[in-house]
Amino acid sequence: MGQDRLDMASAGGPANAMDLTNPTPGEVQPWQPPAALVEAIGGYLARQRWYAGEGAPTGLQVKASEQLAELPSARGRLLWMIVEADGDSYQLVIGERPPVEAAERFRGHEEALVGAVGDAVYYDAVVDSEMALALLALSSGGAERAQRSRPMGAEQSNSSLVYDDRLILKIFRRLSLGGPNPDVEVTTALARAGFAHVAAPMVRWQRDGVDLAFGQQFLTGGSDGWALALTSIRDLYGTSATDEPCNPAVSGGDFAAEATRLGQVTAQMHLAMAETYGRSGELAERWQEMVRSLTDQVRREVPDLAEPGEGLLDRLRAVADPGPSVRVHGDYHLGQVMRSDAGWFVLDFEGEPNRPVEQRLVATSVMKDVAGMLRSLDYAPNFVLRERGGAEAPQLAELARAWGARNRRAFLAGYYEAKGVEELLPPIEDREAVRAAFELEKALYEVGYERAYRPDWIAIPMAALENLLRSSVPEVVKPFEAEHDDELDGTVDAEQTLY
Amino acid sequence: MPGEKVSGTASGDVRWYQRAVFYEVLVRGFYDCNNDGTGDIPGIVSKLDYLEWLGVDCIWLLPFYQSPLRDGGYDISDYWTVLPEYGQVADVAQLVDEAHRRGLRVIADLVMNHTSDQHPWFQESRQDRTNPKADWYVWGDDDQRYDKARIIFVDTEKSNWAWDPQRGQYYWHRFFSHQPDLNYDNPEVADTMLDVVRYWLDIGLDGFRLDAVPYLFERDGTDCENLPETHNYLKRLRKEVDSLYPGKVLLAEANQWPEDVVQYFGDDDECHMCFHFPVMPRMFMAVRREQRYPITEILARTPEIPDGCSWGIFLRNHDELTLEMVTDEERDYMWNEYAKDPRMKRNIGIGRRLAPLVDNDRRVGELLHSLLFSLPGSPILYYGDEIGMGDNIYLGDRDGVRTPMQWSPDRNAGFSRADFAQLYLPPLMDPVYGYQSVNVEAQMRNPSSLLHWMRRMLEVRAQHPVFGTGTMEVVSTENPSVLAYVRCYPGGHGYPGGHGAEGGPDHQTSEDGAPDSTSPDTVLCVSNLSRFAQPAQLPLQRWEGMTPIELLGRVPFPPIGELPYFITLPPYGFYWFGLVRRPHGASGG
Repeated sequence: MGQDRLDMASAGGPANAMDLTNPTPGEVQPWQPPAALVEAIGGYLARQRWYAGEGAPTGLQVKASEQLAELPSARGRLLWMIVEADGDSYQLVIGERPPVEAAERFRGHEEALVGAVGDAVYYDAVVDSEMALALLALSSGGAERAQRSRPMGAEQSNSSLVYDDRLILKIFRRLSLGGPNPDVEVTTALARAGFAHVAAPMVRWQRDGVDLAFGQQFLTGGSDGWALALTSIRDLYGTSATDEPCNPAVSGGDFAAEATRLGQVTAQMHLAMAETYGRSGELAERWQEMVRSLTDQVRREVPDLAEPGEGLLDRLRAVADPGPSVRVHGDYHLGQVMRSDAGWFVLDFEGEPNRPVEQRLVATSVMKDVAGMLRSLDYAPNFVLRERGGAEAPQLAELARAWGARNRRAFLAGYYEAKGVEELLPPIEDREAVRAAFELEKALYEVGYERAYRPDWIAIPMAALENLLRSSVPEVVKPFEAEHDDELDGTVDAEQTLY
Repeated sequence: MPGEKVSGTASGDVRWYQRAVFYEVLVRGFYDCNNDGTGDIPGIVSKLDYLEWLGVDCIWLLPFYQSPLRDGGYDISDYWTVLPEYGQVADVAQLVDEAHRRGLRVIADLVMNHTSDQHPWFQESRQDRTNPKADWYVWGDDDQRYDKARIIFVDTEKSNWAWDPQRGQYYWHRFFSHQPDLNYDNPEVADTMLDVVRYWLDIGLDGFRLDAVPYLFERDGTDCENLPETHNYLKRLRKEVDSLYPGKVLLAEANQWPEDVVQYFGDDDECHMCFHFPVMPRMFMAVRREQRYPITEILARTPEIPDGCSWGIFLRNHDELTLEMVTDEERDYMWNEYAKDPRMKRNIGIGRRLAPLVDNDRRVGELLHSLLFSLPGSPILYYGDEIGMGDNIYLGDRDGVRTPMQWSPDRNAGFSRADFAQLYLPPLMDPVYGYQSVNVEAQMRNPSSLLHWMRRMLEVRAQHPVFGTGTMEVVSTENPSVLAYVRCYPGGHGYPGGHGAEGGPDHQTSEDGAPDSTSPDTVLCVSNLSRFAQPAQLPLQRWEGMTPIELLGRVPFPPIGELPYFITLPPYGFYWFGLVRRPHGASGG
């Protein structure tokens, strides 16, 4: 069903510049925002999390605007605009109502107010349930209707609405005008390829090839991987106060089985990516360039480690073939995966949002995602460690290391043992070296980020860099077999057993 | 007629079991009336006032029939009599009468698949191949038939066939070799077992827990479990029971995954109730993992059941419940996921009481009971768990959880006036769980005891039939340690009576949301599975404008608005909220 609607919506094509995909006839009308409203938009934009600029934009241009619908109650109108500000394009979905009715609708969401012009008040329509319901019907070409909506809070580039706890509609705010939104495109393609661990696509709202909104199955009862990992770690640290044998393998909140299943799902995601987008040798071509860049960064970011790190960097230079390149998730960490009653789901294929779309699409080794998750599994226990602090910290640091090591092993076990993933991996002799290169890349990025924004946190990626650059060069032939431990025996085949 | 809506006759409504709380009693261990060191049926009669006070609805008696007791009475050697140390048939009749007088019901274990090898039927059958009972058991010249049937007690049995030198043939047994399987292909056997059922229903029992139901029939080339012939026989049994004895219950024990067990409900024409086995270890696991997924996953894979049917759920019972039994071969997620946890292996695999299982943490015990009482299904309490009794693992096997009920700090825990050495098992005497500190009398005097808490919970549960018959829907929350769900009953059908066989309505409408038995009712349950305090934001917009009223204290919480409902929970805390629409301005008073 969802697939059919999707085809219908995306095949609709733009008849003219102002045509929406399958609009309800007679409802969409031309509309010009009053000048006072356009002036107010700057201040509104500056308050939004998804606005990329600093402060109110100078020189804001309206690229398109229209009235999407007239609502039956309280003289409401659902309005739509694309504005350009400081070089970026933003989509606005705006509600218009008389002051009293408007105030009722956005009470508790004061940041949603755009401004008042004459006897009309303008505000972000996502907080107005009636507007949100109309938006769903419109964006799905009438295929989806709901009883209730609730805003889910804004992300860096979009804001989301949940309908009936069944469908989540992501409204893209910062538009990528260069082509389809990578998240929509990849999610849709993976779902078509039969990858069951993305939330099923249900609504795709596009115009002129630009994605405006994307609706997916809402994963009820889901919590993100980061929250789940922290739960496990808090339990482990909490147990340390008692006489119980204290190591992650026997703690109640053991995460290893989850990590193994997550590894399996990650491998399946890469296999579906390879099937959909093919494989190439892109990384092989720029491998030496990547190692040069890593070398430069090491010298720049952690000069003290440059010398001990030569061993690893030499090893990386000696890599003959870094293996095939495929399309990857690109910004893969525990916050991008969600555990639901039906297992792990992968979210947000937008790539690193601060990079241009073209760069996000570059194919690379699957190890980029693997390394991203491994770094996340290292951050989690150290994050809780910092949260707790205090006198017990040294004692807990041991547990943090043990948790990290155990779940790293479990994740890799699930990943490496997935059927068919072998052919996406670097050749066996260089496999661990390539993985180390991507972990190094990620940790260097983290050091730069923490130095700029959270200097208190720099110890976490620094410790990882120390580890990578000081320890011996990874030469493991079959890393998992070497590290295989009994506790993980039962965790394979989770796929089969979950359903 | 089966499927007919609640009747409302003087005998009570026929779907009572959907809202009942069951209390499992070991006759041997409850109370000893004749001071011979072993509990007996008159002993239960003398404790009925206590059970009525506690607020349970139905007593489940473990087997009390004549038996050589090589398998805890599940090896019956005479279906028509009672084990002499427990009493006589007349005592059972008196128990039933006295229970009914107090609005309590009584069901009993019944083993239909097999008998003891001491049963006269088997003794006659093994004589030769031509005697009148020759075909009452499953005999064979070789031990090769039905070779696809698995061996259930792999530790003790090598084959499902055992050689009988007297008759010179093999006999079939799915359980111990001293428990030969009855031959249900013989119409005399099939008819006689219905006679047994009628006999005890005539005495007044309110139903049976049917032991080992999947194995009644055998067919070559199959695994001899869940055969259509077995289902047909259960349908025949149900029809008989429903037509002659309306309002009785058949509770099936089929230790399998819910999607397989569900066939024993038939189309509401086989068993009224079935045990839900996997939910038990998962409740423990959820607390151990501090996350809800062990529970929500098993609920998600639990199929819908016919309207008049009900799951039986429990935290502990008389059996050791091994993970192996709960789960099934490689489909066994539970095993893969959890049996690797050494502590779970130790605790779930070996029979333990609830209190020691949760390190005697009363918060955890209460949290688990709140789940037991609020998840879909009829809860089954195990005697002694209401006062937090412990166990004696040194008694070995299953006896560790079958020690005498601790009534008072007096000699022998107030269980018996026999000589200590004469007791069937010693009562617990350790400083933590021993009867000096844990007993009914002391807890009745202490208003903050676990016993009083339990009674209050049962009282609240009885006021809200929605716990028994309502739909259930998990409410999404991002915090993995918080489990929230809404039980909802749309109203409309009549619930005659409360929890008594007498059918007298025992709850009234109050403005604070305790519904009468026919009104729509919605209850929100929120639990914190973690040892740490937790917040949760619950999307409750569908109930916008309603006021949550905490059911234990009747404290109104702020009404639900259009934003997610924010709530904080103490460690292992839980709330039950009745969602009510309060008249305008009522909150000001």
